[in-house]
Amino acid sequence: MPDVVLAIALGWVTLLLFAGGVLLLRSKDTLHRVLALDVLVVLVIVLLTLLSYRRAVSYYIDAALALALLSFTSTLVAAGHVHRKEQR
Amino acid sequence: MTGSAILDVIAIVLLAAGLGLTTIGLYGMLRMDAIMHQLHAAGLITGPAVILVLLASIATGRAAIITSAALVILFVLITSPLSAHAIAQAARRRGDRTDEDDD
Repeated sequence: MPDVVLAIALGWVTLLLFAGGVLLLRSKDTLHRVLALDVLVVLVIVLLTLLSYRRAVSYYIDAALALALLSFTSTLVAAGHVHRKEQR
Repeated sequence: MTGSAILDVIAIVLLAAGLGLTTIGLYGMLRMDAIMHQLHAAGLITGPAVILVLLASIATGRAAIITSAALVILFVLITSPLSAHAIAQAARRRGDRTDEDDD
């Protein structure tokens, strides 16, 4: 893939990451925050994938896989916590 | 046009589509306030958008990168609906309803 395309894509995703930060700061309660963090982790996964394409090594995608696993677990636990808190 | 050039074009189209979907989804999340509406827009980012970006790995031509990307695609396909469901369930238990939801 041409380097220019990857550079533009990396810059664009970095801008989107800032938008995600605004989303996180604007969130009103726990569930909004959990959702915003979920989306932020996906943006970081995209960033790591693009970095992996640019440097032509696979380690960064493996790191993205580990990050996705962590994000999945933490989302489930946080949503379950909100769920239980409302049940009481 | 050689094979690698065709692959490059396909990958650029996939990448542009993925980043476009991410932008649309994030814009929707910033615009809408209710958690159910935000969840709808977030599904666009955590599902199709990230998969399109990962599919662009075919242009790298390296087996290690493509294998890892396939693993991540599989993982995202399984976990993204699950986490969206967990958040929606918690929101529903809390009493959040959409305007159309009247049961």
